[in-house]
Amino acid sequence: MFKATIEASLLKDSIEILSVLVDEARFKISKEGLSVKAVDPANVAMVSFNLESEAFEEFEGDDTEIGMDLTKINDIMGVAEKNDNIVLELKEETQKMEIHIGGFSYTLSLIDPSTIRSEPRIPQLDLAGQVILNGSEMRKAIKAAEKISDHIMLGIEDEIFYMEAEGDTDKVRLEMTRDQLIDMKAGDARSMFSLDYLSDIVKPASKSNEVELNIGKDFPIKINFEVANGKGIVNYLLAPRIEAE
Amino acid sequence: MTSFADFANVCREIENISSSLEMTERVAEFFKLVDTEELHIAIYFIMGDVFPDWSDYDLGVGTGLFYTSLSKASGFSVDEIKKIVRDKGDIGKTTVEVIDKRSGSQITFDMFNKLKSKLTLNDVYTTFKKIAAINGKGSHENKLKMLQYLFSKTTPEEAQYLARLVLEQLRIGVGEGIVRNAISKSFNVPSELIERGYMLTNDLGVVALAAKKGGIDEVKELSIQIDRPIKLMLAQVAPNILKAIKDMDNAAIEWKFDGARLQIHKNFDDVTIFSRKLENITNSLPDVVSYVKAQVTTDTVILDAETFAIDEDGKPKPFQEILKRLRRKYDIEMTTRDIPITVKIFDVMYCNGKSLVDLPLTERRKVLHNIITDSSSLSVSDQIVTDNVEKVEQIYFEAIDDGHEGIMIKNPSSPYTPGKRGNNWFKKKPIMETLDLVVIGGEWGYGRRTNFIGSFTLACHDEKSGEYLPIARVGTGLTDENLSELTELFSSLILLENGRNLEFKPEVVFEVAFEEIQKSKNYASGYSLRFPRLVNLRTDKSADEIETLDRIKDLYNSQRK
Repeated sequence: MFKATIEASLLKDSIEILSVLVDEARFKISKEGLSVKAVDPANVAMVSFNLESEAFEEFEGDDTEIGMDLTKINDIMGVAEKNDNIVLELKEETQKMEIHIGGFSYTLSLIDPSTIRSEPRIPQLDLAGQVILNGSEMRKAIKAAEKISDHIMLGIEDEIFYMEAEGDTDKVRLEMTRDQLIDMKAGDARSMFSLDYLSDIVKPASKSNEVELNIGKDFPIKINFEVANGKGIVNYLLAPRIEAE
Repeated sequence: MTSFADFANVCREIENISSSLEMTERVAEFFKLVDTEELHIAIYFIMGDVFPDWSDYDLGVGTGLFYTSLSKASGFSVDEIKKIVRDKGDIGKTTVEVIDKRSGSQITFDMFNKLKSKLTLNDVYTTFKKIAAINGKGSHENKLKMLQYLFSKTTPEEAQYLARLVLEQLRIGVGEGIVRNAISKSFNVPSELIERGYMLTNDLGVVALAAKKGGIDEVKELSIQIDRPIKLMLAQVAPNILKAIKDMDNAAIEWKFDGARLQIHKNFDDVTIFSRKLENITNSLPDVVSYVKAQVTTDTVILDAETFAIDEDGKPKPFQEILKRLRRKYDIEMTTRDIPITVKIFDVMYCNGKSLVDLPLTERRKVLHNIITDSSSLSVSDQIVTDNVEKVEQIYFEAIDDGHEGIMIKNPSSPYTPGKRGNNWFKKKPIMETLDLVVIGGEWGYGRRTNFIGSFTLACHDEKSGEYLPIARVGTGLTDENLSELTELFSSLILLENGRNLEFKPEVVFEVAFEEIQKSKNYASGYSLRFPRLVNLRTDKSADEIETLDRIKDLYNSQRK
C-alpha cells in the first residue's frame, strides 16, 4: 500500500529530477520512503533518487513497485499552487494512482513496471577530483558554454577547477580557485561532457546551494545534491565524450 | 542469442554472391544457426524489412533523424556527415567511415560496467519496436537517443548494415523468393507449402518458425488469423472480353468499381478495416464499421470489398474523393458526413473460425449471401454467371455508363489465392493501361524550377532480388503547383543528394501513362517507356505493390503480338 501527503513544490522538483532523463520511471516504495533508479534511452546518463518518508507531510507505505508516466504527472501539476499539499494514494486493485490537488481529484493509470527499462547497473568508479560549488553558479557556467559549443571540458589543474568550452571558432573558460568554491579535493581530473545532458541536469541542481561534482580522467561525472533539507538525495551519473587518440 | 555482428557478416557475404542459388544456400545456412526465438527477426531483417508486412508498426526514421543519431554516436557534425555522403555517394560506406573515425563521441556506461555484451538481433528488434511505439511530446528526442544507443554499440561494419536497415535500404538482393526457398531448404519443408503458409499468414517469420518447430505438419496447420490482414487476390488485365471468357467455359461477371479496396475483419464486436496496402484504416471509416456491425450476421469473418464515394444522385465520385476519406486522421465526423461512401462486398475468405480460401468462388458467394443483409450503404456486389459474350458486353457498358471502371471476369470454380495475379481473375477497362511505379530518384529543376524537383526516376520491382530497377523518368505534364507539392512530399525522403541528382527512399507510387514499352540499355530494368506522363499519385499503394519486372516483360511481349 501507499498513501502520502507531499508539498506541491517538492513533488514538482522530484518529478523534474527524473523527467530530465526519462519519461517513465519505476518507483520503489517501502516504509523508509521512495526511491528511483533510471537510465536514459541512450545509456548515457543515469539518476538515483531517494526521498525519505520524513520528507513527506504524511507517509504510509509497504514494499511495492509502481510505474508512472512522468509527463502526465507534470501536466496535472499545472493546477497546483506552490504551497498546496498533494495527497497521493495507490489503488492496488485497479492499478491506479489517486492524486488530490486542491479541489481536484485525478485518477491516473499506472504503467506496468516490467514494461519500463529495468534499473541500471551503477558502475563502480574511482573519481580522483571533487568540487563542491553553488548550484546556480554551475548553471551559469553551463549556459555560457552552450553559447559556444555542444560540449564542455571539466577538470582540475594546480588547485584550480576549470570549465572550458571550445566551438569551431570561439572558446570560453571559467576558472575557480579553492576560495571561490565551497570545497575541493584536487586530483587527476579532466573529462568532456555533452552539454545537451549537462544543461538538463543542472536545471534541478541549480536550486541547491551545494552541488558536489566528482570528476576523473575520461570518466563519468557524478553530480550529487540534496533536496528537502537533506531528506532527499539525488545522484546523477553522466558518461563522458571521448576525444580521438 | 544471435549477435547482430553475425547478421552483418552474412549480409556482407551475400552482397558478394551473384548466383541466386548460392545466395539461397548461404541464407539457408544462416537460418539454421539462428536461435529459434530470433528466427522471425532474422527473416524480416534479411529481406530489409524491420517489421512483418501486416504489422501496424512503422519505424518512421527519416534521414534527418538518422543523420543526427549518427552525428551523436560518432562526434561528426551533421554537415560533415552530409558532405561524406556526397563524396561517397552511399549511406552504408559513409556510416562505416564515420563510425570508424569516431572522435569526441558520446560513450555509454557499458564501458564502465565492463559489460562485454554484444548487440543481439533481439536487442535491435526490441529497440526498433520501442522506436516505432513512441509518440507525442519529446518522441523525436527519445527516438534519437535509442538510435544513438544502437550506433554506439556497433563496430563500423555492423553500423553499415544497421544504417541500411534503419533507412529500409538494405538491398542485398534477398527478396521473398530467396527467403522462401531458404526456409524450405533449412527445415526440409517443400517450398509450395512455405508459399501457401505465407499467403495465409502474411508473415514469413511465422512460417519459418512453424517449419523449424514442427516441419511439414506444422506448416500445413498454418491458417488465416482473424485481425491479421492477408494479401489481396489480384486481377490481370484482360486484352479482350472474348479471350478472357473462352478460357473459362462459364464466367462470373461483376462490376469493377472506381473505388478503393478494403479488407474487413469482424471479430465479434470488433471490426478492423485494412487498406489495399494492408494498413489499418479503421479509424477513418466509422461509418463502414457500423454498417458491418449492423449487417454482417456472423461472429468472425474476413471480407474483400470495394468502396467508393457517391454524389447526391448516387453516382460514383472520382477516385481522389475516396482517398480523402481513407487518409483522414482528423475531423473524421465531418468528412464522413461530407463524403458518404458505399461498400460493395464481393468475396469472403474466412468465416466462423474456418478458412474459406480453398472453396470455389461460387461456394464463397453463397456464404456471402447468407451472412450479409444488404442495404443501400453496404451490400453484396451483383454477380452474373454466364458464357454469353453479348451479355457480358452489355454488363460492361452498363458499368461504364454508371461511372465505374469496367468489369471483373472471374473463374467461378477458382479458389481465393492471396497475393496472386493469376488466370482466375481478369479486369477489363476501356482506358489505356497505366503502370504503377515507385519513385526512386529525381533531379532539381532548371531556371524557374531551380527550387523544385523537376523530374522523377521511376522503377519497377524485381521480385527475385527485391530491388527496384529504374525504367523511366517523368518531368513533363507537371504544373508548378504539382511541383511544389511533390517537392515538399519528397523532401523528407531524400537519401542522397549529389549535385542536382537525388536519390529517394522508395515509398511514393506514381501511376504513369505511356505510349509503348521499349527495350532499353539505358535503364537497369532493361526496358523503358515511350512518352511517360504522371496520371495520379497512388497514395493507396505501397512500394511492394508496384509493377514487377515480370509483368513489364509480359506487357512488352503482349504488345508485340
